[in-house]
Amino acid sequence: MFNYIVRRVLATIPVMAIVALFVFSLLYIAPGDPAAVIAGDQATPDDVERIRASLGLDRPFLVRFGEWVFRILQGDMGVSIFTNLPVTTMIQQRIEPTLSLMVLTVILAVSVAIPLGVIAAWKQGTLIDRAVMGMAVLGFSVPVFVVGYLLAYIFALELDWLPVQGYTALSEGLWPWLENLILPAVALGGVYIALIARITRATMLEVLSQDYIRTARAKGAGQGSILFLHALKNAAVPIVTVIGIGIALLIGGAVVTESVFAIPGLGRLTVDAILRRDYPVIQGVVLLFSFVYVLVNLGIDLVYTLFDPRIRY
Amino acid sequence: MDRRTFLKAGAGAVALSGLAAPAYSQGANARTLRFVPQANLANFDPIWGTQYVVRNAAVLVWDTLYGFDSNLQPQRQMVESEEVSGDGLTWSFRLRPGLKFHDGSAVTSKDVVASITRWMARDSMGLMVKALMQEFVAVDDRNFRLVLSKPYPKLLVALGKNSTPMAFIMPERLAKTDPFQQVSEYIGSGPMRFVRNEWVPGAKAVFERFADYQPRQEASNWLAGGKRMLVDRVEWIIMPDPATASAALQNGEVDWWENPITDLIPQLRRNRNVRADIADPLGNIGAFRMNYLTPPFNNVKARQAVMAALSQEDYMAALVGGDQQMWKPLPSFFTPGTPLYTEEGGEILKGPRNLDLAKRLLAESGYAGTPVPCIVAQDQPITKAMGDVTADLLKRIGFNVDFVATDWGTVGQRRAMKNPLGQGGWSMFHTWHAGADAINPAVYIAIRANGERAWFGWPDVPSVETEVTNWFEAKNLDEEKAAIRRLNKAAMENVVYAPTGFFLQYQAWRANVTGVGKGPIPFFWGVGKS
Repeated sequence: MFNYIVRRVLATIPVMAIVALFVFSLLYIAPGDPAAVIAGDQATPDDVERIRASLGLDRPFLVRFGEWVFRILQGDMGVSIFTNLPVTTMIQQRIEPTLSLMVLTVILAVSVAIPLGVIAAWKQGTLIDRAVMGMAVLGFSVPVFVVGYLLAYIFALELDWLPVQGYTALSEGLWPWLENLILPAVALGGVYIALIARITRATMLEVLSQDYIRTARAKGAGQGSILFLHALKNAAVPIVTVIGIGIALLIGGAVVTESVFAIPGLGRLTVDAILRRDYPVIQGVVLLFSFVYVLVNLGIDLVYTLFDPRIRY
Repeated sequence: MDRRTFLKAGAGAVALSGLAAPAYSQGANARTLRFVPQANLANFDPIWGTQYVVRNAAVLVWDTLYGFDSNLQPQRQMVESEEVSGDGLTWSFRLRPGLKFHDGSAVTSKDVVASITRWMARDSMGLMVKALMQEFVAVDDRNFRLVLSKPYPKLLVALGKNSTPMAFIMPERLAKTDPFQQVSEYIGSGPMRFVRNEWVPGAKAVFERFADYQPRQEASNWLAGGKRMLVDRVEWIIMPDPATASAALQNGEVDWWENPITDLIPQLRRNRNVRADIADPLGNIGAFRMNYLTPPFNNVKARQAVMAALSQEDYMAALVGGDQQMWKPLPSFFTPGTPLYTEEGGEILKGPRNLDLAKRLLAESGYAGTPVPCIVAQDQPITKAMGDVTADLLKRIGFNVDFVATDWGTVGQRRAMKNPLGQGGWSMFHTWHAGADAINPAVYIAIRANGERAWFGWPDVPSVETEVTNWFEAKNLDEEKAAIRRLNKAAMENVVYAPTGFFLQYQAWRANVTGVGKGPIPFFWGVGKS
């Protein structure tokens, strides 16, 4: 197992290198000019040109890429073209809100979606099953921003229960932290709940038709025991896989959710950086997201061994 | 102490602590103004980055020698007195006593000389002053002198104007930074200091009242007069989504929103805790620019064809909807209601639109149906709305429109390209100009027509440039007006750019916020909360 983990961690290095090259190349060929954004609308073309030169954006691709790789290898992601702040500082400022949002969303989604999927499978073909699957279709279909606006309108503007926007650090108290995240987590969790509930139902249906379930019933095991001990554990591998894949969905969804609820997280940082062509920030954030994704996949592979003893590395 | 006494004392302490906290919190809340700006404060060097949002934040932190009042006249701000020699060549200035930077050091003439020198390198008026400058020295800590080779009557306008970049005064050590590089600290002598450790670009910027600020004794009037802060703390909260900003304002989570979109105004007005009004009476001028370097718009008849059919009403309806109070027709390049406004030569934009004339002019231009790349930023509501109207207009005239839907960052890059069509070149892009920047040629880069050195589109109209020179050299307002009339006529005939109309924008604030004024910049002095 230890060797496997080391091998997988080492394998992330070429993956990250390919991501780095891809991101840098993509940004190089993408249209847009940070110098023009910095200079503002009143600037002359000469001003824009001089700013571009001062930022080193007029240098050849290979020189810029080489410098960037050299810095990254030293753990230096560079400095934002606009804010003059180190990219690592900007990421540090933003990582807590995004991490909080994602963790809360995962907890919410898993604790809602898995019981729903199990119940739908248990009550297959009934009104409950149809209702759960109907909600799943709705969760998939309604965009995150629409859900976000509706939630903000009902729970913040009309009922005045929760704030519309913003983020409060966990260090300032559990409730202030939580009250800012409830609506965004519910909005972001919709698609995720739908995804997990559907896969849980499908996998559970397959498992519930297995011989050993019939045997468990025959020996008098209770319904709860059959569903949650015998069946769910054996259905867990595909569910865990989907939860992992869903992390990518969450990263994409966080970009929209953070904009709708004005949460100062990595999603908004990414969008702002893309719109301004703040290349060092875009490169830093994409690298970070890629790294997180690789780590999540590794974590899921390891979790498989908990649910299925036949899996060994 | 028995058990009951202990419990009573404990309950009393809890009650007191419970009461004390909200009282403190309410007081702090009343001394903090939460403001939603028009855009993200992504950088904070107002000389290096000249976006309006940077300028708007910078006026809190940095002071200027002179400041425009609401009559667009420069008034003394950091300067106590000035004297100009009889030949108009030597200017002697004296700073007010007691001016301090936020790091506690005194503001001296050396700081002024370094700051103005840096500003001159980036500002169009500053460059003109620099070209005439023979000497610019600090005489002592409070006096400095500027000697010119030729009189420059607009000097105080240059030093006090509110168009970007403004002539902000920084400590000498910062002002010696290359004007094309960012400063490393944000130290000014304005009424608020920038709280750098609370700055989260894209989310929040915080300013705290500078206790040692010395406001002028006069009443505040835009950038002139005493800048007295009634709150201790101003928080800029960046909200990219207008719907979120609207909800936050209605919910009392923010106090003042700089630029609510017109569509949300009825909803905001229905809330009795919210006020909404015009933000800036000088408004904005919608515009699209045609490229003088490439066909078809290198031919004046093709440009005139567009003007003959252009309906400003269509453009403004797309921008502000049916609210007639929010726009005006603009047969001019200058801001309505300002001293130099003229409609000379503006007939081409008046009366019923003439599509037949437009088609005839286009045929006379020799247009052969080549694609016309019209680049339109979709992430800016103003340019998107105007771009859609233009695409329809061009098609009706008979142009083969290549509609390039893109984002503002790409427009910024592509409009700077002088390549031929088919190799990255372009025919047209959309933008808008703040009315405060369209009051005279000194602050109005878009009206210049000096070819390669002009703004994007590179109009080359010598008669326009002649009148710009005449305006700069005018000895009185009548001469200025005469020059601007001729300039407007020449610019209309040659179509330096196409004005699509004059439009206003709203601002909105909570009913408990007092002192919100109207102007091209959100002025925070005099604004309080009850």
